[in-house]
Amino acid sequence: MARASIEVRDLVVRYGSVVAVRGVTFTVAAGEHLTLLGPSGCGKTTTLRAIAGLEKPTAGEIRIGGAPVFSSSSPAVNIPAERRGLSMVFQSYAIWPHMSVFDNVAYGLRVRKRPEAEVTTRVREALDLVQLGELGTRSASKLSGGQQQRVALARAFVFSPSVLLFDEPLSNLDAKLRAEMRVELKELQRRLDITSVYVTHDLEEALAISDRIVVMRDGVIEQIGSPAEIYDRPRNTFVADFVGSANLIRGRRRTDLERDGLVVIQTHGGALVHGTAPGRAAGDEVLMAIRTVRLRLERARPATPFNVWPARIRQRVFQGDFTQYHVDWDGRVLIVRVAAPDPLAEGDEVFVSADPRYCVLLEE
Amino acid sequence: MLVLYPIAYLIQASLSVGDPQARPPEAYGLDNYTGLGRYAHIFGNTLLVAALATMLAVVVGFAMGWILSRTNVPGRAAFEQLMALPYYVTPLMGALAWALIASPNSGFVNQFWRALGGSDHLVDINTPWGIAWVMALFEGSVAFVMIGAVMKSMDPAMEEASQVLGAGRVRTMLRITLPLVLPGVLGAAVFVFAEMLGSFSAALVLGLPNRFYVVTTAMYQLVSQYPPRFPTAAAMGVSLFAVMFAMVWIYRRIVSSGTYVTITGRAFRPRAMDVGGLRWPFLGVCVAYLAVAVILPVLTITYASFQHLTTAFPRAANFTLVNYETALSLDAVRSALGNSLLLGLATASVGVVLMGFLSWLIYRSRLPGAGVIEYLLMFPQAVPRLVFAFGMLWAWLIFPIPIYGTLWLLLIVYLTVFLPLGFRTISGVILQIDRSLEECAQMCGATWGYRLRTVTMPLLKPGLIAAWLLLFIASVRELGASILLMGPKAKVITPAIVESWFSTSTELTAAMALLQTLAVVAALVLLFAVARRAVQPGGE
Repeated sequence: MARASIEVRDLVVRYGSVVAVRGVTFTVAAGEHLTLLGPSGCGKTTTLRAIAGLEKPTAGEIRIGGAPVFSSSSPAVNIPAERRGLSMVFQSYAIWPHMSVFDNVAYGLRVRKRPEAEVTTRVREALDLVQLGELGTRSASKLSGGQQQRVALARAFVFSPSVLLFDEPLSNLDAKLRAEMRVELKELQRRLDITSVYVTHDLEEALAISDRIVVMRDGVIEQIGSPAEIYDRPRNTFVADFVGSANLIRGRRRTDLERDGLVVIQTHGGALVHGTAPGRAAGDEVLMAIRTVRLRLERARPATPFNVWPARIRQRVFQGDFTQYHVDWDGRVLIVRVAAPDPLAEGDEVFVSADPRYCVLLEE
Repeated sequence: MLVLYPIAYLIQASLSVGDPQARPPEAYGLDNYTGLGRYAHIFGNTLLVAALATMLAVVVGFAMGWILSRTNVPGRAAFEQLMALPYYVTPLMGALAWALIASPNSGFVNQFWRALGGSDHLVDINTPWGIAWVMALFEGSVAFVMIGAVMKSMDPAMEEASQVLGAGRVRTMLRITLPLVLPGVLGAAVFVFAEMLGSFSAALVLGLPNRFYVVTTAMYQLVSQYPPRFPTAAAMGVSLFAVMFAMVWIYRRIVSSGTYVTITGRAFRPRAMDVGGLRWPFLGVCVAYLAVAVILPVLTITYASFQHLTTAFPRAANFTLVNYETALSLDAVRSALGNSLLLGLATASVGVVLMGFLSWLIYRSRLPGAGVIEYLLMFPQAVPRLVFAFGMLWAWLIFPIPIYGTLWLLLIVYLTVFLPLGFRTISGVILQIDRSLEECAQMCGATWGYRLRTVTMPLLKPGLIAAWLLLFIASVRELGASILLMGPKAKVITPAIVESWFSTSTELTAAMALLQTLAVVAALVLLFAVARRAVQPGGE
């Protein structure tokens, strides 16, 4: 299949007095799976719709496969959605209720006037790929949510678009089905080998299916990076907070103690925390983030030279997949998630430790 | 444009104080308004009738709404469908029928009363009470639809909570249900009241014999007498229009004020309350309403249409088909019926295209000022049709193209006055169609025309058909606007029925009224048959 790269430069989308997207720039390499992640109202869907051609940007430039499809500077370009050669899976699925499953999927091929024999084979293949092989003749209005989702998928990729756009495609499914579809979607992406842009507010979804993630807030990009980077090295408090649970530790920089490329801060309670600052410029008073799952709890003092502190278990919350401990530390509470079944009880005296690689200086 | 043009002329006419026949007016002034003081009793009459009818209609609507949407009365699904029927009986049919049933001298009820030894008459339909009664039966179904919708959108948990806390059913109804639906009821009351102010046909048929006038009939009288008094009528019309406009504005305020705390996005199934043995009396209420609003009038008209001289006591010799023979042999009736059907066809077809386009423009294109256009479109609803027609009469009389007195004028008028009806029906469907259904087709590469043909139109089809039918039926039965605007060479059927009521026999009128209904039904059946045959070979 043809793969195309996408370039978005200084994109601004304004509705009347509301600015939904304020100068967004990123690129998607050919064949890459990029996810726009952020809370509702952050401009991620608007950005996606602007790429699709369903929303007319106020300013900026969008190129697909190197060719401009929208440009506000001269010569002004705005190619309508139907001629951009993209495809999209909608949040509501947008299954046409007056057509059969087959006709829904065949739509894009028929628009392109493919011979009916080819339409039949390719629709079959597509339906097989989403495991709906036998449902072709069924009326589309008589499908379950999961089935509608699969039809929407098959319809989106059957005509070999150069780019697939996903607008929160899994948000209407229940939790269990969503987890299943996440795996299937990843498998499908791998098989189709196509460029994709995916919009979601669900962190796990984003981490699972993307090569790179763009975190957005209030119409601007907060951070771009691989799933691991976004998770373990959040750039600021917003990303640290939005992307799963993190402990934020405030302290003063102690450059006098820093060596081996590590940064050191001292909390107001006096604890010293060693961490990393991947290319971050920060002031004197700073914040550090540590994921709750990256902290360790032990009875005996571990034999590491730094980042080991005594603490006391205040509360224990059993949550099935993990146990969450609320720990009194340095005059405040830290949250620690431990996956292993553990005999630690409330009131126990313990040692908290952290690998400095996971203690990340924030830009605020 | 279509909407504002006649209104402007109406206001101009109302300010004219020179020679009433002069066009354009020789002088302007407020004399016509100050002169309205002489007609104060007419405004009083109008308010009296409208208030009486509104109270009755809202009581009926509330009772029926509660029974059919909140209790386990037997057959409530069927009744809910049947509740649309009174609306189709129309006030004119109702008025004709009730005139036969309850007029002071020859009404059936009073004939029975005298036969049983009573003297004079038991009931008199030619009174404000009678007019209000007939209007209320008709508007009852409107109130039902509005109040029923509110009741259905109420979370039954609120009532259940009251019962769990120990309140009985009646207490729950009075203390919980009633306050919660009050805004909805109030909205319905204002809406119905506004409609009543502009109602015409019942007041014409039942009020005229006793010289009991409401504003609309008084206007009609002022315009059709010789010499016509256009400015006075116009001033009356503008006053009525102002009052109605205020009412509609209040209605909108009530609806949009968001006091409907009960309406949430959460879906729930309204559960019916078990009312035990009360089910049967409630069933009786439903049957009784349908009986007086639908069955009795239709039976009466049918009965009368087969009689030489209608009396309450059927005799074999009295049965005849002669009324139908007469009606069908009269050229005037035949051409009027033909004209009406033709107009209905044209109004519905042109209207669906026009209103469909307008709805699409307002809800789908991001045209600046779409909100203003929508407001203008709904404007004719605030204007009684007779008043509107009067503005039209004034406006088109001086129009350079001589269409006054032709069917073309009626077509334009129908299209204008039914704008809100068609627009609302179609836009209701457009709003239900998720925008992404069209966008998805676009993403699949379909051009504008292809999308329209394969996605938008098929999805809109049910709505368009419904709008077409509504427009067709409404056009064929239109009275208020037609009676002023039809020319002697281009008569339509409903005003012809009214003329016949006042100038020829009751029985002939009944036959004509039934023929009109039958013609509508026949036309619809025929159209459906043709449409189905045309669609089938095309597949789907």
